[in-house]
Amino acid sequence: MQRDLLELGLTKAEEQALQNRRTGIFIFQVSWILTFVCLAIVNWQMRFSSNWMPNPDDRLGVIIASIATGVLGASALLIRRSVMVVNNHHLSRFLRLWLMVIGLGVVFVGLIGYEWVIVPTGTQYAQVFRLMTGFHIFHAVCIGIYLGLVYVNGRKRVYNANDYLWAVEAGAKLWYFVLVAWLLFYVVIYWI
Amino acid sequence: MATATYPLGGALAPTKRPALSEYLRWSIDHKIIGVQYMVTSLIFFIIAGTMAMLIRWELLTPTIDLMANGSSYNTLFTLHGTMMIFTWIVPMFAGFGNYLIPLMLGAKDMAFPWLNAFAFWLIPPAGLLLLAGYFVGPAEAGWTSYPPLSTIYSPDGQTLWALSIHLLGLSSILGGINFIVTIKNMRPPGMGWFQMPLFAWATLATSIIVVLATPFLAGALTLLILDRVAGTTFFNPVAGGDVLLWQNVFWFYSHPAVYIMVLPGFGILSEILSVHSRKPIFGYRMVALSSMAIAIVGFTVWAHHMFTSLQPELRIPFMITSFIIAVPTGIKIFSWIGTIFGGKIRLNSAMLFALGFLSLFVIGGISGVMLGAIPVDIHMHDTYFVVSHFHFVLYGGSVFAIYGGIYHWFPKITGRMLNERLGKIHFVLTYFGFLFTFFPMHILGMQGMPRRVAEYDPQFQNLNILVGLSAFVLGISTFVIIYNMLVSVVRGKVAGANPWRALTLEWQTSSPPPAYNFVGDPIPFEDPYGYGTDASKAYLDAMEARFGASYNPEKPKALPPTNSTPALEPSAGD
Repeated sequence: MQRDLLELGLTKAEEQALQNRRTGIFIFQVSWILTFVCLAIVNWQMRFSSNWMPNPDDRLGVIIASIATGVLGASALLIRRSVMVVNNHHLSRFLRLWLMVIGLGVVFVGLIGYEWVIVPTGTQYAQVFRLMTGFHIFHAVCIGIYLGLVYVNGRKRVYNANDYLWAVEAGAKLWYFVLVAWLLFYVVIYWI
Repeated sequence: MATATYPLGGALAPTKRPALSEYLRWSIDHKIIGVQYMVTSLIFFIIAGTMAMLIRWELLTPTIDLMANGSSYNTLFTLHGTMMIFTWIVPMFAGFGNYLIPLMLGAKDMAFPWLNAFAFWLIPPAGLLLLAGYFVGPAEAGWTSYPPLSTIYSPDGQTLWALSIHLLGLSSILGGINFIVTIKNMRPPGMGWFQMPLFAWATLATSIIVVLATPFLAGALTLLILDRVAGTTFFNPVAGGDVLLWQNVFWFYSHPAVYIMVLPGFGILSEILSVHSRKPIFGYRMVALSSMAIAIVGFTVWAHHMFTSLQPELRIPFMITSFIIAVPTGIKIFSWIGTIFGGKIRLNSAMLFALGFLSLFVIGGISGVMLGAIPVDIHMHDTYFVVSHFHFVLYGGSVFAIYGGIYHWFPKITGRMLNERLGKIHFVLTYFGFLFTFFPMHILGMQGMPRRVAEYDPQFQNLNILVGLSAFVLGISTFVIIYNMLVSVVRGKVAGANPWRALTLEWQTSSPPPAYNFVGDPIPFEDPYGYGTDASKAYLDAMEARFGASYNPEKPKALPPTNSTPALEPSAGD
């Protein structure tokens, strides 16, 4: 995904700035994923609670969540493709792919949002489930809004070549973050 | 390894101190932001210190007399502890880092200047949010905020407390990311990892802890806020919640946070001891790597704060890791003693505070090892012994390092020297005020005086009077350095670029440094602590020839009273 910096014809300062951004977003991702790890630990510890899940039927099935996971995975593949496309200066194809990513993101949020609403309440399981999925949806929506801004700016052609590259790359990396965080939760909530 | 024996960047632009108004508004200059951090945290230090004075005033007698009731006292120690940690020590070290790291690396600014400013500007509102609790019923669950005290027994100020710590945590994470990227990506050619100043190593280790530990605090605070405002019951055992959940997650952040509060102090100490002993750091690599070891091992010791509530079979592993972490800390102490041993010691204020740190931190470290032992901890738990231990670490360690750092870098930041006589008075008052405030607390703790109580058994009163009076001396000592700074910034002797003849890059520019720090790219000396060699002497002489004479503390002679440094022509080879 990352093009060779020398190919971009960047000045030394621009090259430094791009390196800093890439390192910075990587560290941010490593750091912030730990809030999700923290909530996964909360899930684990609360299982010892006396009020964890009195009725086993209260646990949600895996079907909707698996579909949502597939949708999110597909969107991550598409966003990777869209970054490759924009690197080859195919702007209209990029915009189409990017819009599809946003659309799949909306579907994902809708499916998990539905689960959030229907989970039977009154147990620690439900509280922790809502906490984890709500926290994830919040991030997906915020990053989705950013993807929307990239799309709007792409349509307006407001980016120059280098900025365009970074805005798109950052959006993709943030969306991968959404995917990785969800995979962690998906396994912990539905499979363990 | 760089072979340069002469410094330097290009021409030096005339510089003058920024106007006062620049410090009061948004700026992306790391030096302005650094000073903003320092001054803001100093203000919170005075507020939290005033609270400490009120605590000691209350404890002069065994009964409640100054406070209206126990809740008022609870609020006082809650806000005192919280503010000292989150709005004084942590941001003060962030201030040092902001000011010094780009300079030490020969960089023109931090990696993300805008983010840097944003991280700072989260702090004043967060501090005010803490104090705003007084309008709605302030937090009173201690800085650790254990549920159910912090959930069902605290007023709305506890929610503001949690929101405030959330903001401060976010600020820390953003700052930590910025430091790591700056240190990793922006070192100049010729400065490998092991040519980096030890303060940069310490800041790197601290930042790694910050970015890995603080997200856990964010998670815990989110749960706490939800329990308080959204009706969840994560911490309410009656509804199936678990109070130990908070303790585990909170301490998983807060024990590493102890190292967030002391590792930068270690870095400052390494700089001061080497420069003012005129000797290389003894075991540079071990000092650098021990910071990283502390950062890593620091994540494995959190449950020693929970010995009294932990399952017995888990206690011993945490006792062992708690002992292990003393090893890298001991390496540092040994190295620092090796550094000053046989050195040409300048016993100035910076050095006095550094030596003060060494002596007091060792006491705090030893009492820490004592508390790491399960039987001792169970006996001493929640007594004044614990209060004494962490004040020896955080005041005797961190605050002494901060003072030492101020005396060391004030000339760089302001272009003026601090008054040495006032500095020594400050040291004597602080050192003995501190010692007589906190050492007797060991005895009180061993005799069984519990912490966090406004009323106590009359048998403890004599020692509490000694502690209280000493605390007032300690409180007064703070105003000596504040007075010194205020007077010296206006009337202090002109410092010049490098009054200490130090080898690190922050001294290779004018005092105060110009916008963007250096004109051209400075060349670091091959060893930042290579004092006492012909090459280092040649380097320092060349620096003096380039930047003009600096104030010489050993042969005091006034320099021309100007804040400006004349423009110099670039020399050959720049």
